[in-house]
Amino acid sequence: MNRRRLVALCTVTVTVILALLISSQTARISAQSTGTQSTAWHTGDEPDKTPPPYNPYPPGILPADLNSEIARVLREVDNIEAEALAQLRALPPPILTGNPPTFQNTGQRLNVLIGKALNFDKNMSPFQNRACGFCHMPYAGFSGPIPSVNLTMIAYPGSFQFRAGKRTAQRYTYAPNFPVFNFNIQQELFFGGNFWDSRATGYMLGSPDEEQAQHPPVDTQEHALPDTACIAFRLETAVYKSFFEEFWGDVLDIKFPANTEEICETPGGAKIFGTSATPIKLSPEDRARANDVYDHWGQSLDQYEASPDVSAFSSKFDMFLAGDTTLSADEMAGFKLFNGKGNCNSCHVDGRSTAPTPPPPEGEAPNGEDTGATASVKPIFSCFGSANEGLPLNPRDAFYYQNRPDFFGFTPNPFGFGYRDLGLGTFLRSGFGAAPSPNDTWTQFAPTSDGQFQVSSARDVALTPAQCPTTEAPGPYFQKEFFHNGYIKSLKQLVHFYNTRDTSFAKPVTSGHCPPGTIERVTCWPMPEVRNNLDTTTGMLGLTDTEENQIVAFLMTLSDGFSRPYPDKNTFTGVCMTGGTAATQGNSTLIPTPPLPPCASAICGVAPLPTKPIP
Amino acid sequence: MKKVLLTVSIMVVFIGSLLAQESPTTPRATRVQISQGPEIALAGGYLTVIRWTVNNPGGGPVHYGVVHYGTDPKDLSQTAKNPIRLNPSHSSTVFRVHLYDLPPKTTYYYKVESLDANGKSDGVTSPVNKFTTQ
Ligand code: HEC
Ligand code: HEC
Repeated sequence: MNRRRLVALCTVTVTVILALLISSQTARISAQSTGTQSTAWHTGDEPDKTPPPYNPYPPGILPADLNSEIARVLREVDNIEAEALAQLRALPPPILTGNPPTFQNTGQRLNVLIGKALNFDKNMSPFQNRACGFCHMPYAGFSGPIPSVNLTMIAYPGSFQFRAGKRTAQRYTYAPNFPVFNFNIQQELFFGGNFWDSRATGYMLGSPDEEQAQHPPVDTQEHALPDTACIAFRLETAVYKSFFEEFWGDVLDIKFPANTEEICETPGGAKIFGTSATPIKLSPEDRARANDVYDHWGQSLDQYEASPDVSAFSSKFDMFLAGDTTLSADEMAGFKLFNGKGNCNSCHVDGRSTAPTPPPPEGEAPNGEDTGATASVKPIFSCFGSANEGLPLNPRDAFYYQNRPDFFGFTPNPFGFGYRDLGLGTFLRSGFGAAPSPNDTWTQFAPTSDGQFQVSSARDVALTPAQCPTTEAPGPYFQKEFFHNGYIKSLKQLVHFYNTRDTSFAKPVTSGHCPPGTIERVTCWPMPEVRNNLDTTTGMLGLTDTEENQIVAFLMTLSDGFSRPYPDKNTFTGVCMTGGTAATQGNSTLIPTPPLPPCASAICGVAPLPTKPIP
Repeated sequence: MKKVLLTVSIMVVFIGSLLAQESPTTPRATRVQISQGPEIALAGGYLTVIRWTVNNPGGGPVHYGVVHYGTDPKDLSQTAKNPIRLNPSHSSTVFRVHLYDLPPKTTYYYKVESLDANGKSDGVTSPVNKFTTQ
């Protein structure tokens, strides 16, 4: 692009942004004039309370069926919520006995079912349209349930539509198995935590997963409640309130001020709140009670996620470990490659014995051959560490486009395409888009953590609804999205990426600009978004096409629901996709990455700086 | 029989760390040697990959492959490094290090070494080699 065109483009962009700024300014002013002194953005007698949607997206970024798919998932969420209520009502009440007092017999199940009711309660959001389950559905292994979103914008729209996050909705199966985020001094490595960037550490409650559940309700891009006390407030009117009170002993009669509903139906980040995280004015005693309720919210959700309803250990591989079934020839070959030539279990630890190879002469194994024996534990297929796998920047990520204020005066990503996702590195710096780090002695390790994301459990990566039994084209298949930015659209591509990222397929281009004669994700891999700390355990594995497929076959043995039915897996009411090939799955939706501005200094210029700057 | 017992007891010892499943620290190799390379695994325009293989050095799970390079064999002042995760069950370990955007038709001299995450050397350095970019 020549300079003249660039300048012209910039001028147009600036004009458009200015125009939008002015119009959103007027919208806010008129919104405010209807309700001075209060947060109300609508007048009391307005029948339709929906504010104008936030749509900063160029045409084609939001999938065409987005509204109908949101409606579909909300119906499914309601169905599961109704089931949870019925299960709660059918449960024989536990008996509180002993010292310390324990809910004997059905106490644990009660807590799990409370967690399930919380998980699928869409009232826990300003517009009463988002539940945890909206982005984490059982039939997708508790990851994103909308195929067209997985194919395009990758992030899920939150309660104030269409604000959306920046990463894929992580499967939360086995998230409760991750340890408290910690720094191993001897190894000089971080372990544990929840979220792609490990920012839910568990430093306070002793469980990263319990603390994780406290983030989405007040994440501006997700549930978007402006105050954590809104959870206690909404629980007051929840249908399952009595169960929550019975179990936790919380008496839900906090004295909420009269404007609480107005506050809780205004999304977080709204200008009107300033920088306050506690816009609801509560007495110190009531604030403490609301905080307790918020802890219990996290604890029940964690128990649901840890229960066999979610983390089931019911895969074919688990049965194989128990000696109750055999793997097919391809699955077995894939398992061997996973441990051997593929090197996958260096990070996705598969619970094999870590007994080192005996020294030569007896023990000398040829290059890359695994000599460990399978141990009788339930492997999580993660080492709980982090690594930079060098994913290219995905220009479809909805986050890049949210660079102007919405109706409430909130701008999710002021940096636009100047945003870079440094993952763990940004969290350690308490940086933009992460959460404050609770331990400043970790900060010094940010430069060696830039670009790193959590080693996901490989379990349930292939889990799909029964009617679309695979993630892979030609199907009928359920379109999922893989890795933190959803750049990869099939497991075939995932393994091919690990296999060939650093071969002659590596091209100095951004996504959408692969050289003529190459096919993106098949014979062309665009540059990593973050080069620093790029892990090279994989990238040039020398696997054949058949071997790649065998690893895919093995990954499919890790889906729960083989030895017994997976609860709520049959709740999908959408449609499967068919046709095409797994290698080129989703390629028709690739778009050219625009010329990238340098990484914003608010992200890449935050101390401690890496020795080699991030472009 | 004795050997089987020994293996079983080693496994029992390691199961403690397996339950947590964090990557383990493994016994350090008494001597680390390069068994293959270093060699140019990829001579791309923008990406050059230097690769070598050693016997599994052991120690902490993350190690760094390091390449010291330059156009003057007496001044290898540029460095490139990439992390890898050791596979405790593998007898050998492959390091790959990336060099970006080297100018064409230029001869480079380099030597390689490896470190653990604490910066402690595995005690093996290659002689100085050279290659010419395309
Ligand atoms: C709007 C979509 C959305 C909603 C609603 C949502 N999540 Fe998530 N969830 C995500 C995304 C995106 C991530 C990854 C975010 C990141 O790492 O930055 C995630 C990550 C997680 C993880 C981390 C998994 C791991 O292995 O570390 C858990 C657990 C989780 N969510 C549970 C919940 C719970 C519980 C709720 C409700 C309180 C919830 N989510 C609501 C989108 C959503
Ligand atoms: C150096 C550590 C490492 C190695 C080796 C490794 N992975 Fe991963 N794996 C990761 C990390 C880190 C992520 C998350 C990366 C991200 O999203 O940016 C991941 C994610 C995954 C996922 C989940 C993707 C999702 O969306 O949830 C699967 C499946 C997977 N890897 C399979 C494999 C296979 C198969 C191999 C071997 C060919 C392998 N991995 C080798 C670190 C590793």
